[in-house]
Formats: sequence, C-alpha cells, structure tokens
Amino acid sequence: MNQHDYAVVSNKLTKRFGPKEALCEVSLHIPRGAVYGLIGPNGAGKTTLLRCLLNLINPTSGTLTVLGKDLAYDAVAARKRLGHVAALQPLWEWMPVREFMAFMAGFYSHWNNAVIADFYAKTRIERRTRIRELSRGQRTLMSIAAQVAHEPDLLILDEALAGLDPMAKREVLQSVISVMHSENRTVLIADQSLNDLERICDHVGILVAGRLVLESPLEALKETLKRVRISHPAAAGIRLPVTARCIEQERDATRCIMAADDFTEVNELLGQDGSVDADYLSLEEILIYAAGADSWNCEPTAVYVEEMK
Amino acid sequence: MFNTINPKSAMPIYRQIIEQIRRAVAAGQLLPGEQLPSVRELAAQLLVNPNTISRVYRDLEWEGLIETRRGQGTYISSSAASLVDSERLQIIADQLEAAAKDVSIFGVNPETALDIFRNMLLCNSAKQERV
Repeated sequence: MNQHDYAVVSNKLTKRFGPKEALCEVSLHIPRGAVYGLIGPNGAGKTTLLRCLLNLINPTSGTLTVLGKDLAYDAVAARKRLGHVAALQPLWEWMPVREFMAFMAGFYSHWNNAVIADFYAKTRIERRTRIRELSRGQRTLMSIAAQVAHEPDLLILDEALAGLDPMAKREVLQSVISVMHSENRTVLIADQSLNDLERICDHVGILVAGRLVLESPLEALKETLKRVRISHPAAAGIRLPVTARCIEQERDATRCIMAADDFTEVNELLGQDGSVDADYLSLEEILIYAAGADSWNCEPTAVYVEEMK
Repeated sequence: MFNTINPKSAMPIYRQIIEQIRRAVAAGQLLPGEQLPSVRELAAQLLVNPNTISRVYRDLEWEGLIETRRGQGTYISSSAASLVDSERLQIIADQLEAAAKDVSIFGVNPETALDIFRNMLLCNSAKQERV
C-alpha cells in the first residue's frame, strides 16, 4: 500500500513529558476505510496518541501524517476533515440542542443537514432541550451527529461507549455503524468495551506502555493466534513448523497460546498420531497476553512438545 | 432469525454469521428463493461492521448458497436445496467432533459413548412419535 491508502501513518512517533516517555516510537498504519480499534490498558498512551492526532500537542520526535497531510506543516487542512467525539467532553450545558448544532455548523464550510434531521428523528430529542437535560447516551449521540454532519474523512471516537447502559450503547453502536456505510470514511475508536470493538472493528492496534506492540487486521489476528492444546503420545522432540511459535505456556508446552501463520500446518504435523485443539481467543484475551510484554517480545523460535505422561 | 451473535464467543463474527445462515438453510428456516436482509439492514440489526456482512454474502455466494440479483437484493439460491443434505450432515459431524475428542481425552470406552448417543436418538424419535 502506498501513502495515499492510509488515513493515518505515523513513523517512530515519540512523546516525552519530562523524563516520562508516554509514546515510544509508535509506527501506526490506519488504512483508509478501516474501522480501527486502538486498545490498551489505562495509561498506555492512547489519549496521548489521539491528542497528537488531533494536533492538540506536538510530538517530541517522529512524523505523523493524517489524511495525507503532515501534521507538522499542514495541521489545519487535516483538522477540517476530521471528526472527534470524546466521552464526558465538557459542553455548554445551558445551550439548547438546536443552538449547539447551529454553533457547530458555523465551524465548517460543508454541513449536511440531513444528518441532523436524522438524529432528531431517531432519538426523538426535542430541538429546544438543553444539553444539561440530556442523558449520557443522548449527549454522545448528539456529539456524533454534530461531528458527522460535516462529513469528515476520519472520525475519532474516544471512549464513546464508556459508561453507557446497554440500550444507550446499542443506539450509539447503531449510529457508529451507519457512519461506516460511507465509503472511504475511516473510523478510529479508542475504547475499553472490547466485546463491542470486536463486532465493529476490522483492524486493531494494541498499545502497551507507550509502545504499539501489535497491529493487525482483526480477522487475521484471530486466525493466527490461538489457544492450543496438543495431545500427542510420542516422546519429546516434535518440531513445530518454523512459522509457528509458542507465545505463552499455560501449564506446559502442550497447553499454550500459539501464533502460527497456518494452523492446518500444525495440525497436519501432529495430526497423524495425536491431535491439536486450537481455540479462538477473544480480543480481551489477546489484550491480556499482549500486555504481558515480556513473553510477547520473545523471538520466534520453534518449541518442542514435551513428553506426555 | 439472525439476532444471536454471541459476544462472549471468541469465534470471529464473520464465522458466526456464516454458520448461522448455513444452519438456517439446513433447518429449512430459510428456503430457496427467500430474500435476505440487505447488508445495511443486517449490519444494523446485528450491530456489526457492514464490511463483515458484505464479506459473508460474497463468500456464501461463491459457495453457491446465496445469489445476488442485480438491483434486487440477495436471495437463498435455488440450487441451495441440493446443498442442504450435505450441509446437514456436515453440521452434525462438526458437533460430534468435539464430543469425539472428549471421549478420547476422558478415556471413555467408544462403545459406551455410542450407547449414549444411540439412546439419545431413540429417546428423541420416541418423543416425536408421541407428537
């Protein structure tokens, strides 16, 4: 893919706050049209990364290109084509919703009123309702509508699903999904609701302690990283294919989290005399293993299956 | 019909949906010629990425289970009927595979396991006769 196929590219992006390194050589690649889930434990640097993307803070070093514009030179052009929704964003509480929408429309040269009309129709929120009277979910829906009406090429959702009740979450997800229908619109979601991200994301990036430890299409990640249980009667010394490696042993080498380019290869190798059970991991489990950074960084090596008793 | 995506299951959403459509066809809940929801509708209904639904439809079309009529929508293909029998057996075989593995892991006598299955089948058919 060349530069234009990406909505966001960063190269060795680093941000230091005094002695603390909040981001360490992050090289992010978000394809255009992707729904990209940025996940990681609290304090991993997600918000710092988003703040860099929104040009609210300057990186210490490295480059960041958003929608084809280098943020160091052309931040305003990028910002115009960007939408941003953050949970618990401070809003003008006294403002009626109608006034808020008119206010937001003033910032952009393009404004699609159909999006706003659709928002009123779906949520049944009265135009004269003041923002302080809205529920948490309604606020989020209002912010999404206001940030989508200028038809941004990149929509950033920061913890937009956090703290919502199941009904509100459903409505927010629905509105996010309807946003995705527009071709070439990229959505970047940073959130802790991993079950929900699993439904809507097609790419994930995992940030742990300021480092991007993993970045992959979600589907490929799920097909190449599994929980494996090997039953094999033979003695030790069965060599796994070179493309397979044990990420973390759960009890011994026969029960492990294994990364393999192709599990059918592993199956064929062990399948004649024994069997391999490979189960999918949820995004939550993947994050937990990724956060155990020591084992994650292990070099790809073949493991030997231990002797079965 | 398709509202049972299991967020607790780690199986990729794409596979869950494919499996459900297959099951529905095998069980006769979806008949040849029946129209499926549009990508947009199904994505909104299941709360999943529309691209996932597009891919599901594309792959099922390639298998011949569904067909897209230009400008009209997506339908269970008329040739799906011929796939149904093999589909049914495949689904059952897939489910029994897990049980078969447990039989060998637990060291249960295969004959005993077969007896359990045989009894279940007999019990079910007896129930059906009463109905």
